[in-house]
Order: sequence, then C-alpha cells, then structure tokens
Amino acid sequence: MSRKKGRREERWRGAAVSDGVAVGRVLRIHGGGRHNIYRVALEPPEVEREVRRYRAAVRLSRRQLLALKKRAARTLGDEHAYIFDAHLLMLEDRKLNEDVEQIVRHQRVNSEWAVKVVTDRLLAVYDEIKDDYLRERSSDIEDVTQRLLVALSGESLPSRRLTEDACLVAEELMPSTIAELDFARVKAVATDVGGWTSHTAIIARGLGIPAVVGLRDFYRHARTGDALVVDAQRGEVILHPSPETLEAARARLSLASAAAARPAEDERAPSRTADGVEITLHANVELPAEYGGVRRYGARGIGLFRSEFLLTQRGVMPDEDEQCAAYEELLRVAGEDGATVRLFDLGGDKSGGVMLEAGDERNPALGLRAIRFCLRREDVLRTQARALMRAASKGRLDLVLPMISDITDVRRARRVIEEERSRLAEEGKQTGPVRVGAMIEVPAAALVADRLAREVDFFSLGTNDLVQYTLAVDRANDEVADWFRTLHPAVLQSIARSLEAARAAGIPTVVCGEMAATPVYAVVLVGLGARSLSMAPSSIPRVRRALAGVSAAEAEGVARGCLECATADDAEELVRARFGELWPDLFPPQTLPPLKTKG
Amino acid sequence: MVECEVRVVNRLGLHARAAAKLVRTASGFQSAVRIERADRAGAADAKSILSVLVLAAARGTELKVTADGADERAALEAVRGLFTSGFGESDE
Repeated sequence: MSRKKGRREERWRGAAVSDGVAVGRVLRIHGGGRHNIYRVALEPPEVEREVRRYRAAVRLSRRQLLALKKRAARTLGDEHAYIFDAHLLMLEDRKLNEDVEQIVRHQRVNSEWAVKVVTDRLLAVYDEIKDDYLRERSSDIEDVTQRLLVALSGESLPSRRLTEDACLVAEELMPSTIAELDFARVKAVATDVGGWTSHTAIIARGLGIPAVVGLRDFYRHARTGDALVVDAQRGEVILHPSPETLEAARARLSLASAAAARPAEDERAPSRTADGVEITLHANVELPAEYGGVRRYGARGIGLFRSEFLLTQRGVMPDEDEQCAAYEELLRVAGEDGATVRLFDLGGDKSGGVMLEAGDERNPALGLRAIRFCLRREDVLRTQARALMRAASKGRLDLVLPMISDITDVRRARRVIEEERSRLAEEGKQTGPVRVGAMIEVPAAALVADRLAREVDFFSLGTNDLVQYTLAVDRANDEVADWFRTLHPAVLQSIARSLEAARAAGIPTVVCGEMAATPVYAVVLVGLGARSLSMAPSSIPRVRRALAGVSAAEAEGVARGCLECATADDAEELVRARFGELWPDLFPPQTLPPLKTKG
Repeated sequence: MVECEVRVVNRLGLHARAAAKLVRTASGFQSAVRIERADRAGAADAKSILSVLVLAAARGTELKVTADGADERAALEAVRGLFTSGFGESDE
C-alpha cells in the first residue's frame, strides 16, 4: 500500500479506438487463456470418464453462452450478441469435439491437455492469416477455449462486481468478458493488443467510453487499484498520474463531459458559436446501446437513423407492424425534436427471405443499392413507408431517400409513398405527416442541388459517401487512404453548393457523417454555411465545445479560403495555419489534419 | 454432387457472423457441403465454423461450393444465396 505514494508517473502510447478522457483506477482483467495447462496421463479405465467430463464441460459452457447471448442482446443489441452465436457454433463444432475426444482416447490424457493441443494447432493456422479483421477472430477461439478450461476446472466464472471508477486493463479483452461485466459502470478500457475493428473497440464506441489499445506491455505494469488516466484524445494512458497530471486530466474531463454534467435545461440549450449563431446538434443512432446517449448528450432529436440495422439485427426483413413499433420506440428516444429515418440502404441482396436477382455485383458501391434497391423492390419501400407514416401519428418523423443521383428517383419514391398514404387513409389507419428529404452523397445530386431542392422537404448531406464518390476513393482501402481527403476543394465545393441550393429554396440541410463529428471539420462546415449537424451522440459534447469557442464569421473566412484552394494539401495547410492562429487553445496541432504526402 | 462458384462480396469477408450464418444454413441440410478456395489454398467443411474461419476468405475471394447428398440442390442454392446477398450485411 505504501508504494502508492510517490510512485513515478509513467506513460504508454497506443491507438485511440473510442474517444474521450477518463480518470479512475485500474481493474486488471485476466483475459487470455494463458493458464498453465498440465498433461496428465490416464489409466485405461479412466478414459471414458474423462470423455464424459469433457462433454459435461461443453454442456455447461453452452448454457453459459446462451445466457450471455440473451444478456448481450438485451443490453447491447442483437448487433453485438451475434458473436456468442459464433461461440456456440465453435463449442458445438464437430471438428473440435472429435479431435479433443480422439486425443483423450488415443493418447490417454486429460481433457485440458487435449483442448490445448487442438486449439493451439488452430491458432497457429490463424496466425498465418493476412486479413486483420479475420485474424483478430482468433480471440474468439481463445475465448471459447478459456471458457471450456474454466468449466473443466469446475470453478465458476469469477464474479465481476465493479467499483464506480473501474478502468479495465487487460492484455486483450475477450468479447464474453466484456459482456459478463457490468459495463454500464466501466469508465474506460486500455489493452495491450487490439485494433479498430476489435470487439472491445466496437463496444467501447457503442457505449461512448474512451478506449486505447495497442499499449504493448502496459498490462504487466498495472496493478488493480492503481490510479490511472485513460486519454483517448491523445492516445495514451498515464499510470500513477502526478497531482498536476490528474488536475489537468480532470479539467479536460470536465470540459469533455460538460454537457453531461450540466443540469437538464442547460443540456438542451441550443449550441451557439462565440458570435451567437445557433447550430443544432442531432444524434446519429443505430444500436439500442446508443439510444441512452441521445438524451445524455443533449442531442436535438435523431438526425439520422440507419434503418437497415432493423434488418441486420433480426436477420430477416421486419414486417410493417414490427417496423412501426421500432419507429415508435425511436420517437420515444428522440423526444419532441423527432427523428429522421433513412430508407433501407441495402445492397443488391436478399431481404426478408426473398432473393433479388442481383447476382454478384462487380462494383457494389456503384450497384443496385439504397434508393435503387427500394425502387426495384417496391414492396420493401411500400412496407417501410406505411410503417413510417403510421408511426408518425405519434410524433415528428421524417424520411430520407439515400443515394439520390437523379430527381426521377425522388419523384418515383414520392409517388409510391403518396399511394400508400391514400391507401392507409382508405383503410382508416391513423397516420402523421412525414417529410421527405434527399441524401446528398453522390456528386450528381450536388451538381443539380438547386433543382433537387425544389422537390424535397430537406437535404441530408452524407459526407462519408460524398467524399468517397467525389474523389473515387474507397475509404476502407488502406492503399488509397492518402487520397481520401475530406478537405479536398471539390468536396467542399459540393457541400457549399448543396447548402446554398437548400438555403435558396428555403429548406433545411442537416450534415451527417464523420465530418460533422470531428471538431475541426465541424467548424469548417459551419463556415460553409451548415447550421445543423448530426453525429454519434458521444461526439456531441466535443463538437458543442469547439463551436462555442469559435466565431461563425471567422470560420466562414477560413472556409472561403479553402474553397479557393487548388489542392487538398493547400486546404489542409490553410486550416492548420488559420486555426492555429485564431483558436490555438481549442485546436492544438494534434487535433488538426496531419501533413500528408502521397506516395 | 452439385457445385457452383461464388465470390465473397460483403466488406468484412467470412468473419464470425457471416461464418455462423453459413454454418447454421449448411447444417440444416443432410448433404455434405464443402467450400474450397478457387486458389486451392484451403478447403472447409461448411458445417464446421472453425474450419470455415480458417479459410480466411476476405472480400473478393473466389470460392467453389460443392454439395453432395439427398438434398444437395437445395443446400447449394441456400449457400449460394448467402454469398450473393453478402450475408445480408449492409455495405458500411
């Protein structure tokens, strides 16, 4: 205990995979299946008993996993529960069980040893896999192995009662460990390994808690109870922070959670720039785990609900009543500001058990998806439109048409929607008004924005796709990451043009996408004329804070300058220089676009 | 025995969820269902998730599916459907 005093502060750098700052205490989680496993030779009569012991352990593990899956579905959404379905299948895997039992019988050894031999062999094969995402799935095998070994040992899983300020520290967190924890109380996560696509990262982002991974040897230096700062804004963790460090971290933390800490009225107060321009901030949501954040972070309703999650959550196309119930639930979460639902953005694929004759598309991003899919599969569009109009009798609900490239698509979709509206009226069903907007995410839509604006009730600017389509760069492809430039003048001109067209037609525009959630880009968007932004709920406080510190007039000056630039490099350089001069405290260098050189 | 060629189109490839769907689907048939990489770098029993995951089939991987047994045609169609639909995952 005495060592706690006077311990020198130590820092580790890693990769931030979920934003935020937390101050708390270490809770070490022994994650991996790295127990020492001993080989025990069996007498022939013991062998069959050993096989039965193994099978009992499999059954026990199976029951645990079924319970876990239920719990994860309830608290995190089915989206995260699927992983336990994969674990269940691994546990039932013929290959695993036959191999283990064969080793027990032929080599006359204990089940633990047999499990280790079989899974080590599998993991060795996994290590050879080149694809990061697929290779990371080896953690699922380790997870299942660990569960089996614990079941064999006859111990129950350690109970996980957390203190209020627990920051999880592990070599690697297994998905089931996270689900077994009372994660509502977890403040932060820090692990030695892991990446952006690990479950840890996905769940941390869903819960809006900071996570730093890739800390290499941090786990073995940390002890449960040690004071710790997890700073995902800087991608580092600080063990035994000095009083000064703690104070600085707490100051940043209170800024970061300012919105959450303030009384309810303040939270709902409009976000304003330093020169008094009101910017409304809405929430993008997909998972039930994020619903709580809408109120917590003071979002003005839901600016974008990606409805295809209704489908991926269930695995089948939800029918009209199921959809209607889901949209009503969304309205309850959104409150009086209402929600905007994006029509199913589905690729050429199977929906509701009915195959579309799409076949393999050579280029799915340019293929039969989003509005094109909805128009081809009119029954899907009709069902969704009916459910939305019915749910709209309970609150303010808008609908946005994804991937519009031609105004004809808007007209066709509106005709179908109006037909269903009359039909619902004939059926005597209660409906509410549903405004229809267009996603601006294809350059063609930005180019005809002035005419498009006369045919819809609002615009939604989807910046992720707009950048991807304008620059012809796949954002998931690391090889061309240097060509994905949010501040490319062509992108900025498309945005400015769309905003101007909407203003001229007197319709609102809400900007969605990662651009709105990144403070520096949010300021540029405001400079381009955006007055309404939608983002992941947990990003709202930092954007609100950034906007409060800048003047819209000065932001406009910087944005105008960017529009004049010849290259993305020039625009980024201009932003670095001007932001550095105007708001040095608000935008330290690491928050600005880094210097990039292609090649 | 019947066979067909498919390509992995969903962004994350044959990851845990997609593999789970494949195994659940294939296990619903009596026929033996096998998946082989077109580059012959590996083959898997479609009813074993561990074997499917080890294929490491990322997006764009070409695969050959074979089904052999009483309900081989239905099994092949069901598995082919999963691949062409990108396992029902949206492309985000």
